[in-house]
Amino acid sequence: MIFLNSLQSEWLKKRRSLAAWLVIVGGFFTPSIILMARIKNAHKFSAAYQADDFWIKLWNQSWESMAAFLLPIGIILAVGLITQIEYKNNTWKQLHTTPQRLSTIFFAKFLVILIMLAQAFVLFNIGIYLSAVIPAALFNNIPYPIAPIPYRSFLSANINFFVDSLPILALQYLISLQFKNFLVPIGAGFVIWFLGIGMLSWEYSYLSPYIHSTIDFLIGSGQFGNRKIPPMNIQLLAVIYFVIITTVSYILYVNKKEKG
Amino acid sequence: MHSIETINLTHRFSGNEAVLSSINLQVIEGTIYGFLGPNGAGKTTTLKLVLGLLKKQQGEILVFGKPFANDRVETLRKIGSLIESPSIYGHLTAIENLRILQKIYQCPKGRVAEVLDLVDLSRTRNKKAHQFSLGMKQRLSIAMALLHKPSLLILDEPTNGLDPNGILEIRELLQTLNRMHGITILISSHLLFEIEKFVIHIGIINKGRLLFQGTLAELISKRQQNSFVVFETSNDSKAVQIIKEFGLSSRTESGRIVMPLLDNERIAAINQRLVQNDIDVYQISKVENDLERIFFDVIAE
Repeated sequence: MIFLNSLQSEWLKKRRSLAAWLVIVGGFFTPSIILMARIKNAHKFSAAYQADDFWIKLWNQSWESMAAFLLPIGIILAVGLITQIEYKNNTWKQLHTTPQRLSTIFFAKFLVILIMLAQAFVLFNIGIYLSAVIPAALFNNIPYPIAPIPYRSFLSANINFFVDSLPILALQYLISLQFKNFLVPIGAGFVIWFLGIGMLSWEYSYLSPYIHSTIDFLIGSGQFGNRKIPPMNIQLLAVIYFVIITTVSYILYVNKKEKG
Repeated sequence: MHSIETINLTHRFSGNEAVLSSINLQVIEGTIYGFLGPNGAGKTTTLKLVLGLLKKQQGEILVFGKPFANDRVETLRKIGSLIESPSIYGHLTAIENLRILQKIYQCPKGRVAEVLDLVDLSRTRNKKAHQFSLGMKQRLSIAMALLHKPSLLILDEPTNGLDPNGILEIRELLQTLNRMHGITILISSHLLFEIEKFVIHIGIINKGRLLFQGTLAELISKRQQNSFVVFETSNDSKAVQIIKEFGLSSRTESGRIVMPLLDNERIAAINQRLVQNDIDVYQISKVENDLERIFFDVIAE
């Protein structure tokens, strides 16, 4: 009950914040681009909507930029913005004088970020669906896609991408809690992500948690090429990273000398 | 019983110099305690240690008679605080800022309107806090500190940024809270005149050392001890001898005769005797130290 109250309190704080807007913009960004392209070139899409692999193609097209670029960067920015709410408003001291255990404060805020990530996934999926059906509703020459939506494989892919994102989220949270300056977590996140992308062809690239979603997408869409397939399950690795980083993050947070 | 008691509280930041040295603060339950000191004296560091915002290094901190660290959550449930500048979420309205705390403290929703009314912010309840003036932000912070009806209020320079009228309102509010609801208040300030009118106990801190702690009455008695009469005459050594005949001790200091404070009749009698003895009296003045002077004397010791 106490944790639920703390969670509600943390949830209230993100109202009208940049982080909250980022979730909406991030969720709908790629589907909006795809939708605009389809509306602009409506005359070309009649055949595509009747194809058996319509949803798979749309899915891959939507996830291409999301998995490699928008998802890691969105997480880097959103986590930084959530912790900045406390730094910018000088409210860490207020928060730490409320009757809450430090673990409650740490995990309530963390859970809010996780829920926001899930929210972004839901919005992204809705966006993908809308980018498919809106052109069909607007133009007579475009039929509603005849192929059934592969719910199971999409759900499984969503879960995989979500799990892939967890270590990024945990490490960004760790850095953001330790540094008041917004540029530190953002800069560190960008550097780690950029290095990961740069070493994508290396056989041990899967060790970088910031490109798990990229690797996952490339393998899933058959675009991994001649690169060596990771020798272990990427989601399992992501969960291991997530648990270790979260534990370290919590220990560092609890032992911070100054809490506001 | 002490609401707050620190025993030999000592603290050092990264440099090795102690920012607090053996602070023995004693805030008696039900009183208003004024914690005075110039900027950088160690007031905020002390209050942050009491609230657990800084990790204790040396000494003991007892709140409501128990070690703070042993029962942090339950102790904080009974404390309302405002440390340094206001801590409010600028992108949220006044009412939303209070709702955040209302969820944590699980107090009735109606309490939000009550405290907004108390600090006269009811009309601006739906205005975003970043549009507030500094004074309004301070008042909102006080409302947040009062939301859960704490039995101890810790306020670090709560009148910063307030106009004279605002200072007066806060003073009256704190007096009411203390008298009507028995709330113990620890209020820090670097300006004695701001708090001398309503505090009961005073602690004066400078350079990390607690230089005075006692009642306001004790501080005022210091005032009497430090008040004196000054004579400027044409012959100080002869004048001192004459004053001695009155049974009074005096000393010469910078070409003046200084003696303890006397009533007007005695001063007139001494003056008459000096003139009768062919001593010219150029000036007679009473020097009565006010509280501000005593404060500066204490921190200069």
